[in-house]
Amino acid sequence: MADIGYISLLLALGAAIYSVFVYILGIRKKHPALLQSARNGLIAVGGLVSVSVMVMLIAILTHNFQIEYVASYTSRDMSLSYLLSALWAGNDGSLLFWAWLLSIFAVIVVLQKRDVGKELVPCAATVIMIIQIFFLILLVSISNPFQELSYLPAEGRGLNPLLENPGMLFHPPTLLAGYVGFTIPFAFAMAALLTRRLGDDWIVAIRRWTLLAWLVLGVGNLIGAWWAYVELGWGGYWAWDPVESASLMPWLVATAFLHSIMMQRRRGILKIWNMVLIIITFNLTLFGTFLTRSGVLASVHTFSDYTLGPFFLTFIGLSLFIPLGLLYYRSNELQGEAEMESLVSRESTFLFNNLLLVGAAFAVFVGTIFPLVSEAVRGVKVTVGPPFFNQVNGPIFLAIILLSGICTLIGWRRASIRNLVRHFLWPLVAAVVLVVVLLIAGVTKLYALIALSISAFVFFTILYEWFRGTRARHRVRAENYFKAFWGLVMNNRPRYGGYIVHIAIIIIAVGVTGSSLYGTEKEVTIVPGESMTINDYTLTFQNIDSYETESKTTVTATLTVENNGRLLGKLTPEKYFHRSYDQAVTEVAIRSTLVEDLYVILIGWEDDGTTSFKVMVTPLVSWIWIGGIVFTAGGLIAFWPERRKTPSRSKLG
Amino acid sequence: MKIRGMLSTLLLVLFVAFLPARASAATVGDIASQLICQCGCTLVLNNCTHEECHSRENMTNLVAQQLSQGQSDEQIIQLFVTQYGEQVLSSPPKRGFNLTAWILPFAAILVGGGVIYFLIRRWVRTGQYSTVAVDTESDAADDEYERKLEEELKSFSEGSFR
Repeated sequence: MADIGYISLLLALGAAIYSVFVYILGIRKKHPALLQSARNGLIAVGGLVSVSVMVMLIAILTHNFQIEYVASYTSRDMSLSYLLSALWAGNDGSLLFWAWLLSIFAVIVVLQKRDVGKELVPCAATVIMIIQIFFLILLVSISNPFQELSYLPAEGRGLNPLLENPGMLFHPPTLLAGYVGFTIPFAFAMAALLTRRLGDDWIVAIRRWTLLAWLVLGVGNLIGAWWAYVELGWGGYWAWDPVESASLMPWLVATAFLHSIMMQRRRGILKIWNMVLIIITFNLTLFGTFLTRSGVLASVHTFSDYTLGPFFLTFIGLSLFIPLGLLYYRSNELQGEAEMESLVSRESTFLFNNLLLVGAAFAVFVGTIFPLVSEAVRGVKVTVGPPFFNQVNGPIFLAIILLSGICTLIGWRRASIRNLVRHFLWPLVAAVVLVVVLLIAGVTKLYALIALSISAFVFFTILYEWFRGTRARHRVRAENYFKAFWGLVMNNRPRYGGYIVHIAIIIIAVGVTGSSLYGTEKEVTIVPGESMTINDYTLTFQNIDSYETESKTTVTATLTVENNGRLLGKLTPEKYFHRSYDQAVTEVAIRSTLVEDLYVILIGWEDDGTTSFKVMVTPLVSWIWIGGIVFTAGGLIAFWPERRKTPSRSKLG
Repeated sequence: MKIRGMLSTLLLVLFVAFLPARASAATVGDIASQLICQCGCTLVLNNCTHEECHSRENMTNLVAQQLSQGQSDEQIIQLFVTQYGEQVLSSPPKRGFNLTAWILPFAAILVGGGVIYFLIRRWVRTGQYSTVAVDTESDAADDEYERKLEEELKSFSEGSFR
């Protein structure tokens, strides 16, 4: 059984090598039959990796504990969905999953019908297969997921209880899909450089691939944040753990990339910059993977197996310096047709926003690797934690949001002082009114006022922009306002999807501002019947109880919650003691509203019923998750294929 | 002019970044947020998620004890640094070599901002239009906007960029 999986991987490796060589030969000789054969090789890789994934899934579902991976990450009492998620629970499995996604994406790339960039496909496919070879070599050598044990264990070790959360089903695969997705734009960029088709074809071919990878990575991060919030039990959602940072960096750089390719399309500038951005994005995805698998930095995400570190580091070195060298070699062919009409234009705001996005990623990078730098330079270990990232990135993020609002109001090419004033007036007035309201409501922290007024300003600029567009359509086409607005969005989904994403970011920013600046927390030790108060809430401890299930003992405390005397219901924070794991797992109880979350953690108890709780009231947390939903909606609107004018138009890309 | 505005935004960013996070720490929680739990969780002290973490307990108790003895927050934090080394701090102190980490991101952004400023100026000069930022937009600007919007939408819906 395991042999079938392993042999499939070996054959896939062979097919990938074949595909690369025949592609190169076919491209050199311009021989269609060779290209066809190479393409078949690539499709075979997809099929073969799929076979080994199927074998792995069958082994997991049939509890084939002979396979070490299955024994390490699953057990008989796991439900079907968590069994399936075991595919990415461990190092070897997640690499297999990575290779599988890459092989599927590669198949889609070569089968896609496209009008623009067809000539780039063979070369891009070659690049993808070279990357695939790297992963397949790891899988057949040091990371073989089909490694068998010399004995047959009666039971597997099961999933780490901390991972038993719906987050486990969605966070790793979306994050990995985002990471892997960036391989495609990278491959097309390389293809453009290698084949000297340095026009806009490559960015047309990959805009939607990039958008999808970016969207999925963003969603993956948000799911991770939500998971940390509901499962880890410290009341936060983002700890600036090195691996969290590592997944934020490529997202930030890809955000810059998505914006700057617009500049290349519209104005023919930033051609080299775009290449640099996608090369960096791709390498940052590898860097994240390197961090989780090398153990160079302490993190909650690391796998215990560190042997892969040097391999990834070498691969990053190659995939950073070869492309940059190639880019340098071609740089004189990539000069922009640069000319601009005015210093004050949407173009300038795009450039500065690009700078800030990359700057934010750089700041995260500096913070992430600084412990290593400090140790190397001074020999002193330091920790770079949340205070650093919040202080350095907070203002940069705010500036990014502010510039995105200014950008909306400034026209392409040039803007006059007069129309600037006119367009800025109403959003500015609205923001000022909001600040006054906030001040009256008792929001006095400077940081909160700055963040919220910027958010409000940008939000109103977008509304204003929508209003102007709708009114214009209403006047020109005599449509009613609703129809005009709908037509506006539907006829230009990339733009309006983008605006919706901006609104999502604002909603998230408001959530982050509120929750990080205005949380309260209390630790109490009380006996049943006693109450505690926090803000307007009164929590009365009813009882503490325990019950047994097949896999664990659960201790559950029941508290009734009142707000200003009004009974809201019960909260039951719990603790799980799994039989197969030493560490107890905290199951927090959360009562979430649009205004604030009440978050209760069961800390500990004595035999006489004296029990300790940590209770937090955190404002606006749910805005982050709502923002996530809006983000997804906006991203999908921007991504969704437009209706084709000609039948041969492609579905993707 | 606007560019200068943007550069000053960047400067404002710098300024805000170096606003003190808190005026003065007074509670156990405030001090705990400046320390990293030494149990290996790599998290800020009051966020350690480990069950029955002795390191968290010991450290928190020490903070509380020192506070009750009237020690200032600087003194307490210094005590921890002496005991565990600089890595006990949740972010590197803003002095000496550590300043590199604090300043480098902003320095990079400022340099980048300068480069962009000069690039745009060069592009504007090589452009066929004049550098005059004020155009002759009349009160009919909204009509102009409407016309432009329709034009843009048309060019978009005709599939310029997918």
